[in-house]
Amino acid sequence: MAIKYNREKLGDGIHYNSIINERQKTNTVIMHFVTGLSQETASLNAVIPYILAGSSSVYPTLTELNKKLSELYGAVLKGSVSKMGDSQVLSLMAGCINDRYAFDGEAVTEEMTKVMTDCLTSPHLQDGVFFEKDFELKKQELIDDIEAEINEKRSFAFKRANINIFRDEPAAVSVKGDVSHAEKLTSADAFRQYLELLKTAQIEIFFVGAQESAGCKKIITDALNSIDRAFGGDNSSAKSPLKGEVCRVTERYDVAQSKMVMGFKTDCGDPVALKLMNAIFGATPISKLFMNVREKLSLCYYCSSGYNDKKGTLYVDSGVEQENIAKAEAEILNQLDAVRRGDFTDEDMENARKSIMNSWRGVSDGARSIAEWYFSRSYSGDSLSPEEMIEKLKKITREEVIKAAESVRLDTVYVLTGKEAKA
Amino acid sequence: MEKKIIRNERTGEQYTYVKHPTGLNIYIWKMENYSTTYALFGTKYGSINTKFKTKSEPDFVTVPNGIAHYLEHKLFENEDCDVFSLYAKTGASANAYTTFDKTCYLFSCTDNVYESLEILLNFVQDPYFTEETVQKEQGIIGQEIRMYDDNANWRVFFNMLQGLYLNHPVKIDIAGTVESIAQINADLLYKCYNTFYNLNNMVLSIAGNIDEDKALELCDKLLKNNENPELETAFEPEPETVCEKEVVQKLEVAMPIFNIGFKAKPESGLEQVRAEIETNFVLSLLSDESSAFYKKLYDDGLINSSFSSEVFLGDGYFCSIFGGESRNPKLVRDKLIEEINRCKKEGLDKDRFEAVKKSYYGALIRDLNDSEAIATVMLNAGMEKLSAFDIIETVAKVTFEDVSARLDKQFDTEKVTISIIEPVHGEGEQA
Repeated sequence: MAIKYNREKLGDGIHYNSIINERQKTNTVIMHFVTGLSQETASLNAVIPYILAGSSSVYPTLTELNKKLSELYGAVLKGSVSKMGDSQVLSLMAGCINDRYAFDGEAVTEEMTKVMTDCLTSPHLQDGVFFEKDFELKKQELIDDIEAEINEKRSFAFKRANINIFRDEPAAVSVKGDVSHAEKLTSADAFRQYLELLKTAQIEIFFVGAQESAGCKKIITDALNSIDRAFGGDNSSAKSPLKGEVCRVTERYDVAQSKMVMGFKTDCGDPVALKLMNAIFGATPISKLFMNVREKLSLCYYCSSGYNDKKGTLYVDSGVEQENIAKAEAEILNQLDAVRRGDFTDEDMENARKSIMNSWRGVSDGARSIAEWYFSRSYSGDSLSPEEMIEKLKKITREEVIKAAESVRLDTVYVLTGKEAKA
Repeated sequence: MEKKIIRNERTGEQYTYVKHPTGLNIYIWKMENYSTTYALFGTKYGSINTKFKTKSEPDFVTVPNGIAHYLEHKLFENEDCDVFSLYAKTGASANAYTTFDKTCYLFSCTDNVYESLEILLNFVQDPYFTEETVQKEQGIIGQEIRMYDDNANWRVFFNMLQGLYLNHPVKIDIAGTVESIAQINADLLYKCYNTFYNLNNMVLSIAGNIDEDKALELCDKLLKNNENPELETAFEPEPETVCEKEVVQKLEVAMPIFNIGFKAKPESGLEQVRAEIETNFVLSLLSDESSAFYKKLYDDGLINSSFSSEVFLGDGYFCSIFGGESRNPKLVRDKLIEEINRCKKEGLDKDRFEAVKKSYYGALIRDLNDSEAIATVMLNAGMEKLSAFDIIETVAKVTFEDVSARLDKQFDTEKVTISIIEPVHGEGEQA
């Protein structure tokens, strides 16, 4: 039942991570390019996976590429960009069915991997840079995506809050950058940056499948060997410092319901104790926030907390009627105080622990979730399995939870609210 | 107790079907080497079932909109505590949801699966609410409804349904309205509970790391005997034409968002499954990312990668929906109608048919990785008295001729509604 994880160095700053799990009915290949986040390069970097996942010199149009992918039983090939701590992660992800399900036993996985590596190392070019028309469309798509962030108010509020929580830190930068930078992008700039990233970025490859595929590994190794590397060094994140006084920001939009995001900082060096503290405080439907702020007092429709171990921050994310904003803030802080005072039962703590164990044990059932797990672990500098983390979790004591809670300090209160209100 | 192994040669997969003496249909799929178990206990009762009768009450009654969802919220409370607190002891992650045509209670866990199953079977069969606890829920559900008022993707969809449907309750928000939920009281909730939460109208579906005998033993112990109420639901007659061709609303969005719906005649049972699958083929051939139509609109900047299509169907309704963002949604609609008319005359792209079939099949195989997807497929099929493998088998057997016939039948370019959410053009300002 156990899964096999192996991490191997392929080159300077390049690692091949294979996760073998015999229950998988699909094969998944993920390529992460990890680089520093900055306002200047965020949009420039973000547009690259969009372009790479849309064509290659072999399949120069999206139509041709998609036709090939459909023939490979609807293989999926996607580009994405995400944030981990102070780093920007540009990714290509491909997935397909295990060859044994193919109607005629075709080598679906190797073919898919080849399509993917071609997209990575052999893009569709024109005059030595990305094909102009493709580039313009992808650039517009990036701009549309940045502008559309406002459509989902909860995640939009969270993004706006991060700008304030991480003021003057790389993590404040939105992962796709901003429209003003995106509008200035040119195909030549993007192509130059693409070459630079191939050369300098930290590259993490993940293969998840039912058994090792020497064929896939060779295709990937050959593709990466064709690159001249000048590795820029591993990425890491700094713990976010606490501001001198609580930063309060209110922004007004045309909305019916308000959102409040509270950011907290912690200098506690024990991420597992903080994880458990966070579960007791607000991360489960039996947590203090859910049971009291939402259920008992009906102050918020949703109210939950989260913990960012890379930055040492905790946040509380809530949907609240405008007239209840102040009350909700006071009550959320009340509940944090309760955890600090140790005002929770042993049963509360055991239940929170079980809830985390349940989610960690389930991680290995999904290809993407297990790949995401080991990527996050390697970023933090270890390769602990879910089971090993569970062993650590089991040892956390009540005193350690209280100590973790005591380290948590309010840093930022961000409110997104309606326009009709008093100034 | 009637017990059958349902096996599929194509994939080599199988599950067990049990018709329990209480009337409950039970489906269990053991997934070798998985850690997670996912269980769903659901009733064929959703937001659209507001008009019904039973053997003991032979006249049709109509209840307020939003009551199925309200009932779901209230069932999560026991006499002395919240259901979440019960699950807390097992570590399971629990939830519930209400759709247009079903209400489901679920958990997923990696330990203590039988304890969690016991909790699930018990609380769903044991309603407890008083006037006071029912009243208290008005506030929270009211906030939930208001939250969706700000959600552009939700609004654009319901505005389209309101344009497409004159009478069918699918056009009403699943949670109801602030006004409709104000009419809900404890008596009405018990009435709906006693009608729809009869085991003859319900399904239990479990997939993952589970021992079938142990699960069935628990069912024998905990399931309560039910007399079949001979439930019948009904809908007001629905005209074939659409109600409004254009519905526009302004909200805080960046670019206009649209949904374009083609109203078609609903089917039932296996015919509905065939209609759904064949219509999905039509949608792929017409407008997926490999289609000439998609490329043309994309290259012209008329759509972006958010463009997608889906079939939306259920008891008494069936439509095909195209959605996305565009600076000119009405032009997208006009181009789409033009393309449909062209394909009706010149035929769909036959060269791509096999690739579309492989894609569809591949997506179904991918679902077999996931206990949640499997439990959901068994539940959905079970509620229609179908097999979970009917979809994969139907997909494997579809012909190009079936799909072409579906284009003629399901895409009447006179029965189209476009719903648009336009930006209010407000910029955020700091206070």
